[in-house]
Amino acid sequence: MADTRFPQATGTMGQPYRRYEALEKVNGSATYASDVKLAKTAHAYLLTSRIGRGVIRSLDLVEARAIPGVIEILTHQTVGESIRQTQALYTGGYVADSVRPLGSAEIAYWGQPIAMVLAESYEIAREAARKIGVSYDVSEPASSFDSAGVDMTALEPMNLGVGDFKAAYANAAVKIDARYSTPVQHHNAMELFATQCVWDGNRLTVYEPGQYLNNIKYGLAEQLGIDPELIRVVNPYVGGAFGAKGFLTQRTALVAIAARRIGRPVKLVATREQGFFLSAYRAETRHHVQLAADSTGRLIASSHEGWEVTSRADVLALGGNAITLRLYGCPNIEGRVNVAKTDRSTPGFMRGPGEVPYAFAFECALDELAYALKMDPVELRRVNDTKVEPIAGLPYTSRSLMQCFDAAGAAFGWAGKTAAPGSMRDGDWLLGWGCAAAFYPTQAGNSAARVRLSSDGRVHVSSAGHELGQGMYTMMAQVASEQLGVPIEHVTVSLGDTDLPPTIVAGGSAGTASLAPAIMSACDAIRRRLQTGGSPAADVMTAMRASGLGNIEEFAETRAHGLPPESVQGMYRGRVAMSGGVHLPDRVQLAFGAQFVEVRIHARTRELRVSRAVGAFAAGRIINPRTAHGQLVGGMIWGISSALHEQTEIDERNASYINANLADYLLPVNADIADVQAIMVPEEDNLVNAAGVKGVGEVGTVGMAAAIANAVYHATGKRLRDLPLRIEHVLEEV
Amino acid sequence: MTDTRDICTSPSTPRRRFLIGSALTGAAPLIARSEPVAAAEPADTSDLRKPTSVDIHVNGRPFHLELDTRLTLLDALREEIGLTGAKKGCDHGQCGACTVLIDGRRELSCLTLAVSAQGRDVVTIEGLDGGGGDLHPMKQAFIDHDAFQCGYCTPGQILSAVSCVREGHAGSPEEIREYMSGNICRCAAYPNIVAAISQASEQMGE
Repeated sequence: MADTRFPQATGTMGQPYRRYEALEKVNGSATYASDVKLAKTAHAYLLTSRIGRGVIRSLDLVEARAIPGVIEILTHQTVGESIRQTQALYTGGYVADSVRPLGSAEIAYWGQPIAMVLAESYEIAREAARKIGVSYDVSEPASSFDSAGVDMTALEPMNLGVGDFKAAYANAAVKIDARYSTPVQHHNAMELFATQCVWDGNRLTVYEPGQYLNNIKYGLAEQLGIDPELIRVVNPYVGGAFGAKGFLTQRTALVAIAARRIGRPVKLVATREQGFFLSAYRAETRHHVQLAADSTGRLIASSHEGWEVTSRADVLALGGNAITLRLYGCPNIEGRVNVAKTDRSTPGFMRGPGEVPYAFAFECALDELAYALKMDPVELRRVNDTKVEPIAGLPYTSRSLMQCFDAAGAAFGWAGKTAAPGSMRDGDWLLGWGCAAAFYPTQAGNSAARVRLSSDGRVHVSSAGHELGQGMYTMMAQVASEQLGVPIEHVTVSLGDTDLPPTIVAGGSAGTASLAPAIMSACDAIRRRLQTGGSPAADVMTAMRASGLGNIEEFAETRAHGLPPESVQGMYRGRVAMSGGVHLPDRVQLAFGAQFVEVRIHARTRELRVSRAVGAFAAGRIINPRTAHGQLVGGMIWGISSALHEQTEIDERNASYINANLADYLLPVNADIADVQAIMVPEEDNLVNAAGVKGVGEVGTVGMAAAIANAVYHATGKRLRDLPLRIEHVLEEV
Repeated sequence: MTDTRDICTSPSTPRRRFLIGSALTGAAPLIARSEPVAAAEPADTSDLRKPTSVDIHVNGRPFHLELDTRLTLLDALREEIGLTGAKKGCDHGQCGACTVLIDGRRELSCLTLAVSAQGRDVVTIEGLDGGGGDLHPMKQAFIDHDAFQCGYCTPGQILSAVSCVREGHAGSPEEIREYMSGNICRCAAYPNIVAAISQASEQMGE
């Protein structure tokens, strides 16, 4: 079989090289944060709140302190004001939630740290933590949308629209009016939330997995009230992140303070259960979608209103309808977003943050409209394909949506579909075919990089950037290799260290799109020094040898389209400044894709399986099709998981999570995953950024849950509008 | 609305006694074929904290350790011996990241107390190659098929995969999927893991 996974490319940027760090990873020698061995380490164990809201009345430390090997116990009484208040990342700060770590006796959410024990070993620290007696004054927490005391707010600044939706909808011939919901989900990267801190005089080194190490550095400096240049954060490998490691959690300042107080390195590895509360999560959402079309299928009116859960401390709203309502041509549009403030920790970004839940609702509604019109759902999308986004009339930098539908549809065999629900069957199995669009905003931030060329032809690239498994080392080596015309084996890359040139958060599918241009710019500067001008990169080494220089090192910084000049300074303070997507004044930048799935539902047991999935994605330049393929297939499997497996169950009595472990929080295992194909549709977009990269970390996940729900409808005639889709939901009324 | 509630996190005495009983039951077969375990007598908690002598062979090397009886084999490998290839993903036997080979079988080192590994042979990812200088075919297959992304679950996947082949459970992709379902990969490199094991299965000749 021809390997269609890897599109053809001529240069080094575009080849499916094996991972730069592959050997370290298979040998177990890649150093993750908790693998770093420091001398005389004290071990920390967190005690976390077992109520959802209230006040700590008393803490009894006597029995815990009496255990041999206990060094110190931090509580709000001993930390209090020593960690300064900082803003949440969403409001221009650094932290995941703005509740101060051990700042007071107030409990804002279940799982909030209330003490940290330091001991000679993990076992002793854990034992002591469990012997701390805690009494609380308990208040009733608001756990979710329907709780008493929940504060629901319409976020009017997020309203969007054009034309007159209400009038157009009222008069339309074919309409859909449906409500959908998506559950709480947790990233659950395999690597736990670990932190090690060691002080050398007034200098602090932090080992912590992060998608944005400079966020940790500058945020921690603000919390501790010290000069940021005294802090170094080191993390060459992240054991999965998916959005959970993009900001400062409660733990880091506590570990730093503990290490300073006891004069020893301190190591914390939070438990899996604690991780469900320590970092952010994907909050539950609700949606109301109304669509109207004329008899040819052209959209006349579309409305998408969303409800999201946030915390009382911080308002985070993702508002994915800012994209769903711009996917297709339509003259009358209305969008609104509401948030419910609850007594939970602050939610955050999880792979395809706003896009995954909003796409589920909107792309299901579109499927419902196709059935109402008796139209093929692919053709419905083709009829409504557009060259300009429908609200402000801005052009897309590139838009390959229908090319993706055609490529994936052909590979899937969509033409063989019979339209009627329940019309396809394979023995005891009901077959259902469904599809949906995928999309993700193309964003970028400011970035810097340093490149050194040596006279022996060796190249070294350095950046504070991040390797999460997306292949950043490999891709950055490819960029330098192509730009300087040196073999890839001659390029070395350093990442994951705040002493190196800063770059943006590895999130929002913006990491590669931000860092690659900075490396290209540094390589340009080297070529200019060698006066090779516009000549091919292969001339660089000839010029280098002729120059008689031992090394040339160039530093470059690049500013993303849409960001103001002053935002460059923010990069040197760990700020998150990103632009792109649907938030530019002059254009719209999106990566597109199409998801096709086959579900099989057993006629008697109703066992529900995704037997085949084909996705096609157009995301500009693919620097490494091999690592990109891994991202896309992984993303699609995340989508299957989101549709069928994942749900964090809320205990409404105390706003806690019932299934905060990897046995009860369902993730797909190998046996759950059958045939998953990702196709990369060639696309050139020289506008988005200098590298032409749109990013593939998230687009593969978006739309998958809708495609699966649409397939379930095709198999059964039953429209399921609430995720996850479980056997019991298919059992009813089939 | 506010009410007052006391929550005491200290374990009660009967519960503690039950835990000691369970630990002894678990250790019984080991006592029969190795040196007596120091904590064999019913004891108060201060004795449980007393270090116990353990001899373990890891990657062919003998280690004599004085360990807290509560220490897991995973933490003994990582914190005491300095082999950090085995990873902690859940500490509850739910994810497989800590998988090692004990007396040739794949086991979860987070569910194995270090003292119960007394006298046993442990192989970690660092010791899989066997010293000949060549990469183990399973490691090579994982590279060839890009069977990982973040790499955190990878040592456990590879050791589990080696066992899967040796157990004779790598006969088909379906069988591999079934017998590799104790190792979660959140990056979801599953299809590539199956392809890698299929390749290595032929090369391992077992």
